[in-house]
Amino acid sequence: MEYVKITFPTRRLVYIDDEEGGYTNTVLRVDAGTHLFSLGNVANFRPASRKVTVADTSVLEPLEVKFFRKDDA
Amino acid sequence: MRRALLALLALLLVGACASFPENPPLAHYDKNAGYRFASLAHPDNSDSLFVIVTFSGGGTRAAALAYGVLEALRDTRIEWQGRRESLLDEVDVISSISGGSFPAAYYALRGRKIFDEFPERFLYRPIQSDLLKLALTPTNWLRLAGPSYGRSDLAADFYDREVFGGGTYADVIARGRRPFVVLNATDMTSGAQFPFIQDEFDLLCSDLAKVPLARAAAASSAFPGGLTPLTFRNYAGSCGYEQPAWVALAAADHASRVNARRTARAEVRLSLAAPGPARPYIHLTDGGVADNLGLRGPLDAIASVDHSWSVMRLINRDRIDKLVVIVVNAATSPKSDRDETASVPGLIDTLSTAAGVPIDNYSFDTVDLLKKTMKEYGEDTKLVETCNRLSAAKGAQCALKLDAPHAVDLYPVQVAFQYIASREERRWFQNLPTSFELPRETVDRLRAVGRQLLAEDPQYRNLMRALHGCLAPAGGSC
Repeated sequence: MEYVKITFPTRRLVYIDDEEGGYTNTVLRVDAGTHLFSLGNVANFRPASRKVTVADTSVLEPLEVKFFRKDDA
Repeated sequence: MRRALLALLALLLVGACASFPENPPLAHYDKNAGYRFASLAHPDNSDSLFVIVTFSGGGTRAAALAYGVLEALRDTRIEWQGRRESLLDEVDVISSISGGSFPAAYYALRGRKIFDEFPERFLYRPIQSDLLKLALTPTNWLRLAGPSYGRSDLAADFYDREVFGGGTYADVIARGRRPFVVLNATDMTSGAQFPFIQDEFDLLCSDLAKVPLARAAAASSAFPGGLTPLTFRNYAGSCGYEQPAWVALAAADHASRVNARRTARAEVRLSLAAPGPARPYIHLTDGGVADNLGLRGPLDAIASVDHSWSVMRLINRDRIDKLVVIVVNAATSPKSDRDETASVPGLIDTLSTAAGVPIDNYSFDTVDLLKKTMKEYGEDTKLVETCNRLSAAKGAQCALKLDAPHAVDLYPVQVAFQYIASREERRWFQNLPTSFELPRETVDRLRAVGRQLLAEDPQYRNLMRALHGCLAPAGGSC
C-alpha cells in the first residue's frame, strides 16, 4: 500500500488514472506504480495533470503531488 | 438400406456441424452500459457497510455450503444507520468459482426466490447422473463429435434448460440491484481469472447481456478432465473500445517492476483486446484453476485504485466505514492410506496430488494475503493516531498533527471445514467428494454447517457486536 497527498488551496475531487479517487489535502491510499493525477470540476488548476510513479511511501510521509491555482504565480 | 445410410450420413453431418453458441458482438463500446458495479442501484444497501462474499469451488458441496451461508445472511438481523435490516441486503459483491457459481448466479437472477427454488432445482438433483446420461445419448455423440462443441456445451444447455430457465445477463441487468455477482472462469492461455462482467467482455467487444447465465456457470465449473473448456468468440477491435488510462501506465511499468501484479493485470487486458483480433477465440476452463476461492478479484479491488469496482477508491472517497469480506471455502482434506505402506504411489494418485496441492497452497496464501491487506488498512490509521498521541504527550511544542487516511473497520470472516471444532465432524466434512450429486442428508448437513461456521467465526461475532446483530437459529428468531 502506498500513500499520496494531492495538495490544492481548496478541497477538490481528485482523479486518479481518470477515475474519481478521493479529495485534495487528505491522505489517499493507492497501489504502487505510475499514476495520473488530476483534479475535478473547474479547470482552474495547473498543471492539467501529473504523471507520478508512487513507490516506497509511508503513511507518515505520503508523496505530495502539488497542484496550483492557474492565476497564482 | 440406402435410405438408412443416407440418414446416418445426414446425422453425422449435423453432428459435425454442431458448434458452440457464439457470444454476440458488441455494436459500440459504452462504458456506462451493461453489467457493471457502478450501474447497479442500491437504494437500501449502503456503501458505508460494504460486504463482499466469496464462494469457492467444490461441486455441490461448495454450492450447498454457500447456500447455507446465504440463508444465514438472510436470517442475520442488524442495525445500521438507524434501520433494522437483514445483512443479506447489505451484500455488495459476490465473487464465485465453479460449484459456488451456481447459487451465486441463481441469486443474481432470482434474488430471494433462490430460497424457494434453488434446493430442488439444483442442490438435491442428481446433476452428475443427468449430465452423464446426456453424454451417453447417441444423438449427443454426434454433436460431441464436432470439433468446436464439447461436454461443457452440453452441460451449459442442460443448466440453461433445467436450472436457470433460459436466464441471461440481460435479466440480471434488468433486476439492476446489488449485489454485483461475479462468476469467474480461467483463461487457459494467460492463466488469468476471467470474470463474467461487461468490463471483461468489453475487451472482447462482446455483449455479455445476451450470454446465458448457464454458460457463465458452465465455464466457471468446467472441471478439467471431466468437463471440457468452453469457447468464446473474441471480436476485439470492432467496437471502438478504449482501455482505461491505468492500463498503459501499468504496462509501461514493466521494466521498473514497481508493481508486477498491476502490470500483469494490464498485460492480460492488452492480450485479450489486441486487435485483429490477435486471439479470435478464448478458451475458458474451471475458475478454480486460477483461484479456487474467488478471492483474487476482490483482493485486487481492495488493494488497487485501478479496478472496475475498486474498493480502495470508495474508501478514499470516505464512502466505506466497515468492510466485511466473508470467504466461504469448501476445500476438503481427504484421508489417504498412502503412508501406511511402502508402495510407490500410483500415477492417478501422483497426478491428482500434483493438480490439487498447488491449488490448496495457493488458496492458503490467498486467504493470508487478504488478512494482511485488510490489516494494512487498520494499521496505517493506528500508526498515525499513535504518533500524534505520543508526540502530543511530549508537550504542545512537539505535537504532530499528521493526517490519517480514512479509517475503516475490518472484518475478514472465514467459513471453512477446518474450523469445525469437533474432530469427527470435521473429518466427515473434509472427506466429502467433489461431485454434482450428493445425498439430500449431506446437502442438509452442509447447509447447516455453513450457518454454524458463520455464527462461530470470531470476526463475524465482532461484526454482530458492532451492528447489534443477531443470527437467528435455523427456524427460530432473534
